[in-house]
Amino acid sequence: MCGLILCAMPMNAQTLTGREVIQKVKDRPDGDTRTSEMTMQLINKTGSSRERKIQSYSMDLGKDKKTIMFFLYPGDVKGTGFLTWDYDLIGKNDDKWLYLPAMKKTRRISGSSSKTDYFMGSDFTYDDMGSRNVDEDDHMLLREETIEGHKCWLVESTPKTKGEIYSKKVSWIRQDCLIAVKVEYYDKMNKLHRKLELSNIERVDGFWIAKNLHMVNVQTNHQTILTISNPKYNIMIDESAFTVVKLEKGSL
Amino acid sequence: MKIEKINGWFEKLAGRIIKRRWLIIASFFGLIAVSVIGLKKVIVESSWDGYFLEDDPMLVQSDKFKEIFGNDYFVAVLTESDNTFSKHSLELIRELSNELIDSLSYAEKITSLTNIEFMSGTEEGMVIEQIVPEEIPSDEAELNSIRQKAYSKPNVAKRLISKDGRLSWILLKLRAFPEDSVWRKESSKGPDFITGAETERIISQAKYSDIHPKATGMPYLNFRKQMYLGTESGRVMGLALLLAIVVLALITRSFRGVIVPILTAVGSILMVYGFTGYIGYPIDSGMTSIPVLLSFAIAIAYNIHVYNFFSKQMAIHGHRKMAVLETIKEMGWPVFFSALTTIAGLLTFLVIPMKPLRFVGLATSSCVLLSFLIVLFLMPAFLSFGKNKKPHREVEKKGGKWFDRQMARFGEWTLDHSRQVLVVFSIVAVVSIWGLTRVETAFDIERTMGRKVPYVNSMMQICESELGSLYAYDFMVEFPQNDMAKEPANLKKFDELAQFVETLPLTKRTSSILDVLKDLNRTLNSNNEAYYSVPSDENQVAQMLLLYENAGGTEAQYWIDYDYKRLRLMVELGTYNSGEAERELILVQQKAQSLFPEASVTAVGSLPQFTAMMQYVVRGQIQSFLIAICIVALLLALVFGSIRLGLIGMIPNIAPALAVGEIMGFMGIPLDMMTATIMPMILGLAVDDTIHFINHSHLEYNRLGSYMQSVRRTFSVVGVSIILSTLIISANFIVYGTSDAKQFIHLGVLSVIGMVAALLADLFVTPVLIKSFRIFGNERNSPDSKKAIDKSIKINEYECIK
Repeated sequence: MCGLILCAMPMNAQTLTGREVIQKVKDRPDGDTRTSEMTMQLINKTGSSRERKIQSYSMDLGKDKKTIMFFLYPGDVKGTGFLTWDYDLIGKNDDKWLYLPAMKKTRRISGSSSKTDYFMGSDFTYDDMGSRNVDEDDHMLLREETIEGHKCWLVESTPKTKGEIYSKKVSWIRQDCLIAVKVEYYDKMNKLHRKLELSNIERVDGFWIAKNLHMVNVQTNHQTILTISNPKYNIMIDESAFTVVKLEKGSL
Repeated sequence: MKIEKINGWFEKLAGRIIKRRWLIIASFFGLIAVSVIGLKKVIVESSWDGYFLEDDPMLVQSDKFKEIFGNDYFVAVLTESDNTFSKHSLELIRELSNELIDSLSYAEKITSLTNIEFMSGTEEGMVIEQIVPEEIPSDEAELNSIRQKAYSKPNVAKRLISKDGRLSWILLKLRAFPEDSVWRKESSKGPDFITGAETERIISQAKYSDIHPKATGMPYLNFRKQMYLGTESGRVMGLALLLAIVVLALITRSFRGVIVPILTAVGSILMVYGFTGYIGYPIDSGMTSIPVLLSFAIAIAYNIHVYNFFSKQMAIHGHRKMAVLETIKEMGWPVFFSALTTIAGLLTFLVIPMKPLRFVGLATSSCVLLSFLIVLFLMPAFLSFGKNKKPHREVEKKGGKWFDRQMARFGEWTLDHSRQVLVVFSIVAVVSIWGLTRVETAFDIERTMGRKVPYVNSMMQICESELGSLYAYDFMVEFPQNDMAKEPANLKKFDELAQFVETLPLTKRTSSILDVLKDLNRTLNSNNEAYYSVPSDENQVAQMLLLYENAGGTEAQYWIDYDYKRLRLMVELGTYNSGEAERELILVQQKAQSLFPEASVTAVGSLPQFTAMMQYVVRGQIQSFLIAICIVALLLALVFGSIRLGLIGMIPNIAPALAVGEIMGFMGIPLDMMTATIMPMILGLAVDDTIHFINHSHLEYNRLGSYMQSVRRTFSVVGVSIILSTLIISANFIVYGTSDAKQFIHLGVLSVIGMVAALLADLFVTPVLIKSFRIFGNERNSPDSKKAIDKSIKINEYECIK
């Protein structure tokens, strides 16, 4: 509900800073529980493609979040599951488990991998996929622009630390739904590196969602298309779904 | 062809040149100015990639490989300290690793002791962690635990840290370089050069001096090579220029005698390189000096012939413009013909399907053509300025007479010892051919460049160390169908292939998807070393790869392709010799083919390309040289109007090539791209003197009708010029011997040997052949006494002076 109110309120760009815009995007409501089927299509320069289908469920528990994912496709990884418990508390490591049906083993993964690595061979980094902290970048509101009839804020974000793969990113954020419809990532030489375009933006169960995310690495011509289908929000799901027992079952 | 008619044409041309001399001089300097602008656009390359023509099959394969697996180039840094596991060393290694990944424009992924994702198995699962924690401890016990962790996985440790803990290896993977057409629009410096320069800037900072970083990897080596050759070529060419000025000044004792040859050489080089800049044709850094070297030689030789003739005429009658007309009339044709044969010889480089050698062929022949044109147009224009002089008959007679007489006597001696000369020549030829057969085609950086070159020395030190490697190349196994690459049976065979490659002498280590899979298998099985093997179930392989990717592992994409159809095996080499590499590549190919009869296995990357290129060089070199011989023989035959004469004329010209080959064979100088250019180049130069010699002999023979007499006369007229031009050109070449780089030393020494052999052949063999084969026909009168000859010569000299 709060999201709807937020969307309906008239926004005055003059009074907003870049950081505030990005914070708003981050705070965009997405329900307490959700599920969707995600198809990830990776296409390389030569046109070969790889496809993976994942069913994911997640649940917010206060500021923490629990997610369980099952691979549906391709056949040789079907049933492989990941369970993560993300904690908001700084310094507390996330808990992760994985289940490999071929080995019939659940393994607990501790420690963390770099957030700047690409996610499952895609063109999305873990950062792009998830929750990059607003204060990891300096944000500057450049101007407003209209894209396909939608008023957008243009925000330029520059990482505060050196170890990032981009030197800056420019986001076109739709003012009506707080979704970035286009993001350009620039490399260390300040040349365009990756381009993200979001489409099929819809309101499902009252929540805004982009069902199609298309990232192109313009330098390597590699691209990733994420298609989200059957998104559902505020579903009836129990906390007990996010356990190792369920993980080993291969589905909920 | 009527020689008189041609001479008349050249005389007319000289007249026109004198009339428009200001225009000609202005145009020359105008062209120089335009060329200098073009010079700024010149693209210099050091990468082996630039060697191949676009449609080369190996290049096509490598491009396909890069499309799939990304950049095969990397940068690596070897660090050395007393104890790598000290807080100070670890901090420096981390700082260096971070700086490399952050500051290198094309950096993609870094692997070092301080920046490695390390998966280890535990009782209940697995831990992804860093070997070295964020906060590096100073406590001895904690540092010890880092040490233990680093050595806990032997297969990881052997790539990162030496057994004694003194050396560590930092590997930086690079993202794909943009296409040539893309970066050339913005810069004349290629991405590999930029990468090398950035690496050098980072590792040479004082703050890292305690870990003594030494870098390697193709982009870095190319950068160092280009920097070294840039400075060294500049130094050597500068010195050659200086020496040329001194020698020319001593011999001609005239300002014009020095300035015109220098202008000719510099002018032709600037124009050729300027033009290359305009058309955007890249030049290989190792080859830039060859056209320069040849231009100097040619410019000096042509000008000496022209200038000597001019000063002789000036001394005879002192009338400047008349002397110019006579000079061009007499010298225009032989110089043009010399240029023509040299150009024909050099153009044969075009049969070699390699860019640097094609460049040498085009650039050198253009330099020769331009040198000829500059000599033809600029020399008369310059010489025509100034007052007439009083004839110096006495001086001229005195100065020339002693030399002339000595040369004439020498010619006579040669003919008197025809048999001995031929016997010695035959013996030398046989020995040379034997030596020639011993020449080894090999590129071996140590033998081609030598350890005295600083970057070569540091590179050798790296590859001789426990961790470092010299070059790397890849094998790509391509299965007929998708998903076959992850079948355990195929992976096990692939493992067998990798193990076979590890046993070869050049191999330092291999990398492939097997490292990832085996490590994961062990990790998932509580770090049990027994599980360091390929999983035996296909789904296990697929799920492990998925786990690996999901845990942030990015290595897999470097080793197995998208459709699970292709596998990559990277082979790092500890040392390189193109001959041995060729043998090993064939062995691996055979082994792979027997393991995977249904798959296609190809070696890719710049190293197999380079190795294959060596074959091109030999084949091309032999072809090019044979074609050059045929063309030159044909030209000689055409001009002298007799095939027999053309063939006989070739005998003394093959001598220098044989001598060069002999020295290479006996001294163990390998035939590589640089030395491959020497023989055709020397052939082009040597033939000039033979042309002058035969041309003049023919003229004298027509006049005198006696071989003995005509050879004597020829010796006294052209002998000195031939010796002088050889002397100056050799002096110019020998400067290259002062370099630390063996490739320059070889170039200098071999060229001098070739020039001297050519001179000896022209002085001893050519006259004997002329007489023995009676190449101009039967003698009209055979003066049987020396008296008669002497008399005739005196009459001739008198006529000439008159």
